[in-house]
Amino acid sequence: MRERPGEKDFPWWLVILAATGAVLFAQVIADELYSDVLETLMKGVGITVFVTLVAFSLACLLGLLLAMASMSRWIVARQVARLYVEIVRGVPILVLLLYVAFVVAPALVVAVNWVLTSLGGEGIRTRDFSLLWRAIIALTIGYSAFIAEVFRAGLLSVPEGQIEAAEALGLSPWQRFRLVRLPQALRVILPPLGNDFIAMIKDSSLVSVLGVTDITQLGKVTSAGNFRYFETYNVVALLYLVMTVTLSLALRRLEKRLGAGR
Amino acid sequence: MKYAAAAVFASLFVTPVIAQDLPDLQGREITVVTENAYPPLQYMADGEAVGWEYDAMAEIASRINMTVAYENISWDAMIPAVSEGQYDLGMTGITIRDDRKEMVDFSDAYMRSEMSMLVRGDEERFTDAASFAADDDLLVAAQPGTTPFYVAVYDVLDGDEANPRVKLFETFGAGVQALRAGDVDLVLTDGVAAEGYVAASDGALKVVGEKLGTEDFGFIFPKGSDLVAPINAAIASMKADGTLDALNKKWFLDTKLGE
Repeated sequence: MRERPGEKDFPWWLVILAATGAVLFAQVIADELYSDVLETLMKGVGITVFVTLVAFSLACLLGLLLAMASMSRWIVARQVARLYVEIVRGVPILVLLLYVAFVVAPALVVAVNWVLTSLGGEGIRTRDFSLLWRAIIALTIGYSAFIAEVFRAGLLSVPEGQIEAAEALGLSPWQRFRLVRLPQALRVILPPLGNDFIAMIKDSSLVSVLGVTDITQLGKVTSAGNFRYFETYNVVALLYLVMTVTLSLALRRLEKRLGAGR
Repeated sequence: MKYAAAAVFASLFVTPVIAQDLPDLQGREITVVTENAYPPLQYMADGEAVGWEYDAMAEIASRINMTVAYENISWDAMIPAVSEGQYDLGMTGITIRDDRKEMVDFSDAYMRSEMSMLVRGDEERFTDAASFAADDDLLVAAQPGTTPFYVAVYDVLDGDEANPRVKLFETFGAGVQALRAGDVDLVLTDGVAAEGYVAASDGALKVVGEKLGTEDFGFIFPKGSDLVAPINAAIASMKADGTLDALNKKWFLDTKLGE
């Protein structure tokens, strides 16, 4: 499809967004309540970024493996990948979080302890498995299913002729994947992958139900103490917007450079 | 005369508790989990976690010689996490209820709470629980599974937990925002929290009617915890020597919330 002129429009939306942001920032600096809230919530930015980056990297890795499994020659691998994707994709992230934290993680600890003690070692305690990592695992699982589908679609978009040509040149299967298929697929994969990343920054707010002190959890706690919901959540929204809009702009540049989505 | 006798009897009963030696846990480390979202019991003020329960827990720890480390979790996950042994003790103004006793052990009550009816500042259609219940148009906001929810259902409305007049919100503050926005007409909360919201609202909110539904708060422990008895002994001694009353005065009367 031909590109619509939309991409070449002057970015008025960005001007409006920046202006709104500037007004809010001025408010934050001028108002004592706002600046108190901002100071507290900034402590959560690190956690939010950490959770998102780690979970997203792991989800990409797992998603790539799943995508490759779903295109594998072996029916068992294909069916297992399909089953995983269909189940995980259909379960809300919040449910996954609570499930991983309070059902899967304790079961894992029991399993690990069974191995450790049968080897004569000492068992570990459930509480040593931090809620932060349980949250990261849940986000990884939840997003791996979506990312697997993104990868699969991208890999399938590379014309078979390219692979056959690479084969004719005598490249091994791994070389064909690494040098021919993946680089071309990335151009297709990048826009939806970036979309998933931005979605994950926001969904990482769900880890606050496990008491992980990300921006959202600090927002909940702050507003419970100062009774000012509106002001507190203004700052919460501002922090998330700064992260997502910055990222969105960076992605757009990267896409342009790679000529993605053509 | 009867009261005098009762007082003498009570003093006979109470004195040995003060004199009695409290258990010594020999510096044992315990992990206490809380939410920091329930002023004035525990909340964040200027970046510090403070409140009635922190003070009480510090006093308990010094009386029975234990060391406390704090962790945080949300209300949704607190009872399951303590139940599975993730933490030794949970404190967040948890009402002692029989259904929760199936999941966790409770300490003796350390506080009694009553619900206030929080309404918009210009509310004139009802003045108490009965007049609220009588008008089918009026709605109440509540967090599922919390004491205000049960009080709304059983003490204010008709005992039907699926009553459409109860609008469910994930957090307490969201319910208050819904009240201010006019989506609901009533929010139930502890007297102190209600006063905090009223003070922070510039007249947009007020409290009406009598206090409702008396509730007792206790700490929670994993089932079968050996901490229940020593902590109960510490609570009893703090009740007896007036420490709990002093804490009530400090946090409920002298501390200004929402400023």
